[in-house]
Amino acid sequence: MSEIATSRTDLPPALPHRPLRDVMTGPVASIGITLIIVIVAGLTAVGPRFLSASNVTIVGQFVAIPMLVGACAGFALLAGVVDLSIGSMVGVSAAIFGALLLGGWDLAPAAAIALAACLAFGGINAIAIVGFGADPIAATLGMLTGLRGATYVIVEANGQSGSLFAFNDTLFAFTNALVWSLPLIFLLVLVVTAIAAIVVTRTRVGRHLRAVGGDPLAASRAGISVAGMRTAALLISAFGAGLGGILFVGQLGSVSRNMGFGLEFQVYAALMIGGYSILRGGVGNPVGGALGFLVIAGAANILDLRAISPYYVNIIVGLLLLAAVLLDRFRGGDSYE
Amino acid sequence: MAYQVIGRSVATSRPGARVRLDGWGTAVVVALAWLLLVVASALNRSDFISHQTVLAVTFTMSIVGVLAVGQALVGISGGFLDLSQPTSLILTALVAARLLAVDINVAVVVVITVAVGAAWGLLNALIIVYGKLNPVIVTLATNFVGLAALFLLFQIAEAPINSGFRDFGRSSTLGLPNIWWPMVALVLIVGFFLPRTRYGRHAIAVGGSRFAAQARGISLRQTRFAIFTAAGACAGMAGLLFAASSGPFTPSSGTVYLLPVIAATILAGVSLAGGRGNIWLILLSVGFLSTVPTSLVFFGLSSDWQAIFQGFILIVAVAIDGYRERNVAR
Repeated sequence: MSEIATSRTDLPPALPHRPLRDVMTGPVASIGITLIIVIVAGLTAVGPRFLSASNVTIVGQFVAIPMLVGACAGFALLAGVVDLSIGSMVGVSAAIFGALLLGGWDLAPAAAIALAACLAFGGINAIAIVGFGADPIAATLGMLTGLRGATYVIVEANGQSGSLFAFNDTLFAFTNALVWSLPLIFLLVLVVTAIAAIVVTRTRVGRHLRAVGGDPLAASRAGISVAGMRTAALLISAFGAGLGGILFVGQLGSVSRNMGFGLEFQVYAALMIGGYSILRGGVGNPVGGALGFLVIAGAANILDLRAISPYYVNIIVGLLLLAAVLLDRFRGGDSYE
Repeated sequence: MAYQVIGRSVATSRPGARVRLDGWGTAVVVALAWLLLVVASALNRSDFISHQTVLAVTFTMSIVGVLAVGQALVGISGGFLDLSQPTSLILTALVAARLLAVDINVAVVVVITVAVGAAWGLLNALIIVYGKLNPVIVTLATNFVGLAALFLLFQIAEAPINSGFRDFGRSSTLGLPNIWWPMVALVLIVGFFLPRTRYGRHAIAVGGSRFAAQARGISLRQTRFAIFTAAGACAGMAGLLFAASSGPFTPSSGTVYLLPVIAATILAGVSLAGGRGNIWLILLSVGFLSTVPTSLVFFGLSSDWQAIFQGFILIVAVAIDGYRERNVAR
């Protein structure tokens, strides 16, 4: 008894509140520095045209939709329920939306149905994970497999030779529009990221979300609804993936069988490089996640402009990923033994 | 009071005696589901029960089954998942193909290929153990790097067409594909020795509760090294079977196996949290999942539907599992 009593009084002193210092040394700072390194590398390897409007437009168009999917999937990570099904969710949303467009539907109802379907799939994820207590990785892996199959079936039934042609003028114009010589869609995604960052760091809901992910038991004892938060996070993640699928259709004008295949790993690699953790909730910040996407897109762009094999990007992604989680551990993140 | 302090870590460990019996409920459920699928397919089309069906199912089972053994070892020992199997499968298949092309003795090729697989697993283990990083993230990263490196290394490869090696992969013994027998042997052997040898029990104990295992003097590092190396060797064996039985393959040919393998592992009752799982049940879960595509064809559905069914089966299985775990915990 006495041992325990002493250990209770030996609690470490409360952490000092140093917001500025935390920002300077936190994950967002390290990914910001990495982005600066990438930009400097780009300027030296490619020259000033690396930051020219046309090149930034190319990168922005390329990275905007994955960034949007990532910003929404980040909510699920924060709540401690990783949603692996987003890649196939993008595919099935694009397939439903494309098939409806092809069937003569208008833009708005087609998009609404695709989004509703994705929310329903997200709901199934939530029922399995929150309702039944299934392991999030395993359950959403099942959803990933199932929705990939659904994408195949829809594309095969409505398209030809593994691809579905679905062009919409309005959506194409929207996804390729330029504002101040930057892609509109990229600017909008930056706005979404900023809103997500404010919600996560500055609002009660965001604090509850991080609390649920950090320690569900403590959060529920503090009166926060763990089930409600996790369900909402999974629905946001599904909604983001659904929206991403629709925008992909607008950008590309077609849906292939394999749309979104492997996107989940690309997105989570970028988010983890940006300071999220797929195994531990409550850590990460939408700004860091967005910077993670920009780092990878910037590196890919440099290789592209220098005509170096694009496969080197994946080597960089893999090494950055290891470096990021190692850094996270040195900062006091979970270590695995 | 004292119990409360350590209570949470103790609650996750399981008494050793339960390890052997664990999962037989899962076995009955999976076997019944498999039987139901076979009966339904046979009632629908009586020609479903044929040697052709058996050949198709067992052929599909082979590579998935071998990879699932590696995945199960990782899961049972608390390593969650090995996401780098697509790389190790193709890397070892490439090694086998290249070595056979220069006319090296098949036995030597087999040994070298399995050793390359083990070396890949050892590389994963080195990063996991010395970086103290979670295996899911490490294997995700090594898979990124490995696949990219494979793409830089080759575009398309194939084991020599008219070699004895390829003939072995194409023909059958006792009415079943040659590549099926090594899979069954591996499952039976690993499933027999894991709960019955000291090191196997160490792995299960580490998966159940690493604190409890450490307190009993089990080396976490050695266990991690052993498990990931063994899982890599399994991938090497799968690579051999893959090179023998498949035609030309590309660096990304292995990605299609990842999800069915994980699904089969989870369906076999292997807990991703570690400490629970029976390797023998892989025969049932892989058999069940491998019957789905053939059944669908007999129901007049394209093979695209198989992913829908496999995904559905997986979600239901893990939901039931989660529900059961939660009730046990209470």
